[in-house]
Amino acid sequence: MQRRDREWPGFALVFWRELAWLRRRPLLFMLTAVVPLGLMLLLTAILSAGLATRLPVAVLDLDGSELSRSIIRTVDATPDTATAVRVADLSEGRHLIVARKVRGLLLLPRNLERDVLAGRRPEVVFFYNTQTFTVGNLVLRGANSAIPAVAAGIRISLRTAEGEPVEEAQAAITPIPLQTHALFNSTLNYVHFLLAALLPAVLQTVVVTTMAYAVGIDVETRHRLVVLRRLGGGMLPAMFGKMLPYTILFLSMLGIADAVLFKYLELPLRGDPFLLVFAGIVFVLACQFIGALLALLLRPVAAAVSIATLLTAPAFGFMGIGFPRLGMNAFAYGYGELLPGTWYLMARIDQTIRGTPLDLSWRPVLVLIGFVAVLVGLTALRIRMMRGAVAEHAA
Amino acid sequence: MTTFLAVFRNEIGRLFSLRPVVSVVVLAAAIYAVFYPQPYLNEALRKVPIAVVDQDRTQTSRELARLVDATPDVAVADVLPDVPTAEREVYARSIFGILLIPQHFERDLLHGRPSPIALYADASYFLMYQRMSGAVTAVSRTLGTNFEITRLVGLGVDPPVAAAATDPMPFIAVPLFNPQGGYATYILPAAFVLILQQTLLIGVGLLGTLPGRLVPPAASVPRRFGDLAFASIATVAGKLLAYLTVEALIVTIYLVGLPYLYGIPRLGSVATILAFALPFTLAVGGLGLMVAATFRNPLAVQLVFAAIGLPFFFLAGFAWPTEAMPMAVRWLAQLLPSTFAIDGLVDVAQLGASLSDVRSEFLGLWLLAALYACIAVIIEFVNRRRAPSPALG
Repeated sequence: MQRRDREWPGFALVFWRELAWLRRRPLLFMLTAVVPLGLMLLLTAILSAGLATRLPVAVLDLDGSELSRSIIRTVDATPDTATAVRVADLSEGRHLIVARKVRGLLLLPRNLERDVLAGRRPEVVFFYNTQTFTVGNLVLRGANSAIPAVAAGIRISLRTAEGEPVEEAQAAITPIPLQTHALFNSTLNYVHFLLAALLPAVLQTVVVTTMAYAVGIDVETRHRLVVLRRLGGGMLPAMFGKMLPYTILFLSMLGIADAVLFKYLELPLRGDPFLLVFAGIVFVLACQFIGALLALLLRPVAAAVSIATLLTAPAFGFMGIGFPRLGMNAFAYGYGELLPGTWYLMARIDQTIRGTPLDLSWRPVLVLIGFVAVLVGLTALRIRMMRGAVAEHAA
Repeated sequence: MTTFLAVFRNEIGRLFSLRPVVSVVVLAAAIYAVFYPQPYLNEALRKVPIAVVDQDRTQTSRELARLVDATPDVAVADVLPDVPTAEREVYARSIFGILLIPQHFERDLLHGRPSPIALYADASYFLMYQRMSGAVTAVSRTLGTNFEITRLVGLGVDPPVAAAATDPMPFIAVPLFNPQGGYATYILPAAFVLILQQTLLIGVGLLGTLPGRLVPPAASVPRRFGDLAFASIATVAGKLLAYLTVEALIVTIYLVGLPYLYGIPRLGSVATILAFALPFTLAVGGLGLMVAATFRNPLAVQLVFAAIGLPFFFLAGFAWPTEAMPMAVRWLAQLLPSTFAIDGLVDVAQLGASLSDVRSEFLGLWLLAALYACIAVIIEFVNRRRAPSPALG
């Protein structure tokens, strides 16, 4: 108890020293505030629309009938697609797709209306480009909802022409109607799906690399590390005194990003806000200690920063937002498991859009706590080893 | 000419002798080539696990579940008694969708009444949602059409007429490129361009901030405007040529070799791809010189650029359509070589476009290269003029 009392003033000393450093070093300030805010703002600006609507589609109408015009109108009326240009032939349409002027090409064959009414089943063809994945799938969704809708209208009129009542005809054409409910993100909004995950991913890289740098400049000179421990009056208070200013700063950045997401971009908060904040704290701490550990293991600082970048810059792909982890190979799945971001994003999705019941929410948070415990242990071990080396050197 | 050659030789020497530069330009490029593609190598997401809540428990409802399970995209992982139980499994992420087949499903179907089913699909992961809704929609349509035809035939309609009445205007969707909709095929060509840009940008930034730059011999420093300008141009040209020489191999590996190794279809010719890569490399090199002039400290370059790749990727308008971005962001994107290069190189390599098809991106890259080279020359010129005059003191 007495020892603890002696230690805490040391913690404060290291804490204030670090803050003074942050004030004096423009690079550190830039890395803890300007860079994360700038990058997050840029990403927010890029994705702020949330939904990509009225993507341009070209039309090659070889029929020019009442039916073909009604198909074009329906495709234009879906939220996903807009019929932007008429083309004269297929190659013109293909060129427009390659040049990304349009995102798809709707081909309405000659005599479409006549053949439909004669029961010859003419095909309506839609060309699209899956090389640009998201956009290709969006225009396909538009066409896929519009054209069967027109076809349904024809099927109903064929039946009513035979004297069947409209309601009966309507019921008869879809014997098994499917109601699809999009759980958790019913508008399929990219802000809530992608942007909300991208911001912590960017922060993960910034935190790990910045901490590798901030701790690295202490480690680089042996004597500084000793000074740090003396100031702190022990290893643990020194360690936490060093880390805490950054924890506070990075958490504020996460807080600003989340404030924008919740307030202006209408990200729902269906779960427990306290658990979300707690997960955020543990996530930032885990990232910080990864950076610190790299700085303690690798020298010079530049090498620590390089490895930190190498490990975290491509991390977003491994966290399973764009391409789910379910479909990954064993290596990618395992690597994702080792990233704090993977678990934080799980906790985040649970507490924001999903509103996961509390008893099912603990797993990712517990894993993050486990990360921090192991990393703090490893860091302490490494410092002890380095102290041993220093003592030997002195002797 | 002597300045040009001296700078060229010196810069190449430093590229291979400075450890931080080698590790970014060569080592990081080599590691990313293996590391980055890992999550996507399976190409497609298959067998997304869903649960079936079968309240009907008839032959037809089981047939429906079997058909859904038979699709490549979805797997029925569990049959659960009710929706709340299934919902908990969704929260626990052991399944990602619930197919609800209500009671009297078969009876209504046989009586000719509409017999609805419901799919609750997890939309917190879009790709899973898309797979589930696609698969179940297709199955319910096919099964429904079969029932409708059977009914019509039962009423005495000719089978071909019945088929025409149920599907009078078949809809065919034809994916022009990446027909399997593979995720690696989609993301890797663009990501490779971005990795090239990142490694070269940081590499050049480090070269310009680490010690060992070629300082013109004090005695022969020219002081006249014309000489200074000429020396500045020669220096920038020498550096850019050095980067181009070193990157020639790396770019070829990234744009031709890696896609081949990862089995990504290529429609364009190697010559066109490399012709397009030339202005890209020059523009990135020029931008790198700008980075070096802005930061002046190698660690700052490394740290500031560590996390910038992700925003740059989305700026390129590849993963997220340009049409949906605000105007200011679109203008900003035009200043990055990656924006033109991803569009152009993917068009050339994956879509088989000719150089004239990607004229605007090609010219855009040359324009950027020229712009950045000019600014680099001006910076070099100003630096040389500021250097203390050795002769007169």
